[in-house]
Amino acid sequence: MVQYRLPMLPHPEEIEWTAEVNGAETTLHIENNAVLLDVLREKAGSLGTKRGCDMGTCGCCSVLIDGDPRLSCLTLASEADGTSITTVEGLSDGHHLHPIQQTFTEFGGSQCGFCTPGFLVVISALLSENSSPSDEEIKSAIEGNLCRCTGFQQIVDSVRAASDILVAGDRVEDSTSAKSDPHPGFGEEV
Amino acid sequence: MVGYKQQPGKLPFSKPGSGGKNSFSKPIEENMIPSSQGGKLKQPWGPHRHDSLVSGQVIGKDTALVDSNWKVTGQAHYGDDVRIKGELIGRIVRSPHHYARVISIDCSRALKLPGVVAVATGADANNKFGVLPVTKDEHAMAVDKVRHAGDLVACVAAEDEATAREAERLIEVEYEILDSIHDMRDGLKDSFEPIHDRGKYHIGESNVQKRVFQEFGDVSGMLSSSVASYKEDWVFAGVNHAFTEPHAVVAHWDPTGRLTLYTPQQVPHYVHRALADVLEIPMHQINVHRTFVGGGFGGKSDPFPHEMCAAILARKSGRPVRLTFDREEVYWVNRGRHPSRIEMNLHADEEGRICGIETDALIDGGAFASFGHVTTYYNGVLHTAPYEIGSFHYTGARVWTNKPASGAMRGHGAVNSRCAVEVGLDHLAEQLSVDPISLRLANLLPPHSSTITGFRVTSIGMRECLERVRQESGWTKKFRRLPLGKGIGVGCGFFISGSGLPIHWDPNKFPHATVHLKIDMDGGVTVHTGAAEIGQGSDTVVAQSVAEVLGLPLDMIRIKSRESDTSPVDLGSYSSRVTFMNANAAISAAMDIRNNLIDATAQITNSDKQGLVIGDRRIFQKSDPSVGVSYLEALHKAQEDRGALISSGAYRTPPMGKTHKGAAAGLAPAYSFSAYAAEVTVDVETGQINVEKVWAAHDCGKALNPLAVKGQIIGSCHMGMGQVLSEEMRYSRNGSLLNPDLLDYKIPSVHEMPEVTPIIVESNDPEGPFGAKEAGEGPLLPILPAVCNAVYDAIGVRPSELPLTPEKVFKLIEKRCKSEGILDPLHLSPPSLNYSDLQTTLENRASEHSTRDISRRLNEERSEYYNGALFGLDPSIPPDQSDPSWAVRVTPDQSYLDDPRLAGSAWKHTERRKRGEEK
Repeated sequence: MVQYRLPMLPHPEEIEWTAEVNGAETTLHIENNAVLLDVLREKAGSLGTKRGCDMGTCGCCSVLIDGDPRLSCLTLASEADGTSITTVEGLSDGHHLHPIQQTFTEFGGSQCGFCTPGFLVVISALLSENSSPSDEEIKSAIEGNLCRCTGFQQIVDSVRAASDILVAGDRVEDSTSAKSDPHPGFGEEV
Repeated sequence: MVGYKQQPGKLPFSKPGSGGKNSFSKPIEENMIPSSQGGKLKQPWGPHRHDSLVSGQVIGKDTALVDSNWKVTGQAHYGDDVRIKGELIGRIVRSPHHYARVISIDCSRALKLPGVVAVATGADANNKFGVLPVTKDEHAMAVDKVRHAGDLVACVAAEDEATAREAERLIEVEYEILDSIHDMRDGLKDSFEPIHDRGKYHIGESNVQKRVFQEFGDVSGMLSSSVASYKEDWVFAGVNHAFTEPHAVVAHWDPTGRLTLYTPQQVPHYVHRALADVLEIPMHQINVHRTFVGGGFGGKSDPFPHEMCAAILARKSGRPVRLTFDREEVYWVNRGRHPSRIEMNLHADEEGRICGIETDALIDGGAFASFGHVTTYYNGVLHTAPYEIGSFHYTGARVWTNKPASGAMRGHGAVNSRCAVEVGLDHLAEQLSVDPISLRLANLLPPHSSTITGFRVTSIGMRECLERVRQESGWTKKFRRLPLGKGIGVGCGFFISGSGLPIHWDPNKFPHATVHLKIDMDGGVTVHTGAAEIGQGSDTVVAQSVAEVLGLPLDMIRIKSRESDTSPVDLGSYSSRVTFMNANAAISAAMDIRNNLIDATAQITNSDKQGLVIGDRRIFQKSDPSVGVSYLEALHKAQEDRGALISSGAYRTPPMGKTHKGAAAGLAPAYSFSAYAAEVTVDVETGQINVEKVWAAHDCGKALNPLAVKGQIIGSCHMGMGQVLSEEMRYSRNGSLLNPDLLDYKIPSVHEMPEVTPIIVESNDPEGPFGAKEAGEGPLLPILPAVCNAVYDAIGVRPSELPLTPEKVFKLIEKRCKSEGILDPLHLSPPSLNYSDLQTTLENRASEHSTRDISRRLNEERSEYYNGALFGLDPSIPPDQSDPSWAVRVTPDQSYLDDPRLAGSAWKHTERRKRGEEK
């Protein structure tokens, strides 16, 4: 049987690829020309990482590679071999939302929500470097991300609020500890 | 400060109820109970019919969207995130030609490629569809002709994307290239090969898809009384919604033979209808599943050919098919705002009244009708308010060209002509030497009045919007007083809050929105609604409405709005209709349940049900709160012998409007109003504009969720700023789209955004849910003219072509320099203003009208008020009845056709049937 393939795209070789995705050691067999966004979405199960434009213009596909924000649509998966990757799914620690996730909901940082994962990972990187960024620093951090719903203002508000939380260190106790109240608020007014 | 305590599985939740004596529930929040019910919430606009339903829960509170936790954790699944085992990947073969006849399609090579499972062409689906039943002109794939570059020709489903793309290349199509047209003005002429054939309804042999002629008021008399006028030929570029989520769809025929279509849609119901037409199966065999929608703005509100393609491929292959667009394909589908050429004429008389508006709008529809029929009307009728006007002439035409189709986009049809009107008013104010805000304030329609086109205006907060903006922006200190290069400008807006008639005509009086509620033993309320949550917060608003009426915390309400199988029909998220209609339906459904609960409480407590009220999770006697039961107790009593409480509520618009042809277009149960002031800096040496600050006042009736209303206002500013400053679908000389990507199609980034101060004006609409009207589209309108007028204040040039790129602005500056003989633009002087005597007249009139308006909005016994009273007509009689020269005309007479304007020349053609051709 005749195989029709694009002449400039010979069948790629499969390679073994290892990375720490959201804290979990992940080993996958991928094509050597695979784009990181495709690997994350199709093989590593991170459907939270969004595909908006495929050419690095919208920022929806942002992920953290070894803590730095990167556009996964412009990164070959092989470049990220052996790194530690954080997507939006890895921002909460399983029990707590990251402060920026919490404030995005409460300050209107997210409307349709499609650009939200990209913003969240970029902002989480900003906040881990600088827990009280100035407005200008916030704006430069998110300048590569497009949002068509919010006009950015409520996103900046959310970052400021998250920064307040981080600076105040207002965290609840570890909910996995034995003393943690399984039903916080029970018996009192909520 | 916000807490930081989200613990999956251990959420702080609300208890479902408490007794009369113990205090599980919180005391009533007096500040949220309206004064008409004895609470402390002030009501300067009078009481509302829903006041007694307010339990002080969530209405009017900043509320996080109920689905936002799904979004921030990455668990929200959009179109491309739906994965079904065994899925195939679909791709579409698109036309490389602007206009061509498809001679043959050969799929044999593609079908031989291993991994290709199914191929489909236009031959697989002959039936036409389209969002409007009167203009169904789309096919799933080309039948006979392709009408724009990017038009669908065939589609293919394969095991993986690489194979599908390769198969796409192997499908061989033979075309016969036809002469394409790209300039909308060419569409007005007769053509050898019109882009569509409307049969006997075809207008001449031209590409005119729709034409409108409307005259209201004394048009011929207006010129004689005009002392100031404005005439400008505007050119507006087409713009795209540029939502972040590209279109994607998944089709799955389940083992019982039913189709489930997963699609990010604003109007799942119309897709449902179109699928039934195209696939030739009954509607009950289709389940339309709306996924999360990554931005719509009107761009996901048509039934789309690619949705049909996915369903056809899935049927042919017997497997689920997922089809996702590249960003470029989003631009091929388009449905963005129409490129338009608008001739705007305004006239003012010596008393500073707007005695005439003459508009001629030619709009470029691209290759398909889409919503265009309506857009053609909206370009005219939606600028007949908020002002009282002496006459109105509108000629509009929409033509087909060989471009991706234009359609509905936020501010549908109203945006461009509104911009021209508001810039014209600024010019009139300049000519009359008066303040533009004073001019507007002295010409507003009062509450409970009728516009010149016969639209029923109920609540109107326009005056308050203007006054708030004037005050907060420091207008009087800034207007015409800022140095060269700095300016401030004002603009107003008026928009429908839901359309009066549904798109699909309903002889059976089908409701526009229906909501079902179900409450079982657990006490949680399940809300079934078909309203499409597209990020605007419609799920949240419906949850809020139910929670408020039943006195429950928001987390006891769960919204099921995704699937047509389980949701009642809702017409969808367009025309800014959802809050108004769906929340009204939800309230009426919740009132049913509320009555059940109150009856049950009366039985338990053996007390009079008239005195029972609902508070936070309790039902009690208002006079003696210790007599009462918990919500759960009342619920369980009400469920005796019947099980779950179930109710249904619906909303349908009241009958309204006039009867002339086209009278229904623009009719709405309520209208929103807005006024913005924008402060800009213009670099006079480069023409670069920076918008620094915007004060944005919007009358949304009542902000059910102020957080979301502010988000809509700021977001609208963003989108409108894009259109006025940088966004443009650019076409090359041979008609090719030059910028189908987000790099060259420039939407404002965070750095271009001004500081927006949202100002919410609450005019308490009598028919809106708790007084609410729309806030999604109206807030976009004023930003364009506000920026244009601020540019004039800064450098003294009036733009008439958007977007205002530095090149265009600099050309205007150069032109002004030349005309004034100034070499260095830095030596230009900014415009100045010395008030004429008319200013005092206007201020006095505005203050009289302000008193009139307050009394009209508070006095239930008010008399009728028809547009025309300001011009001396009897306010209580429709103007066309009191003065024959105000009669409505909807066809041009011969004298107009002797010298028609641009779009008006569409009326020179005669329809085929009127030429006796029955083709």
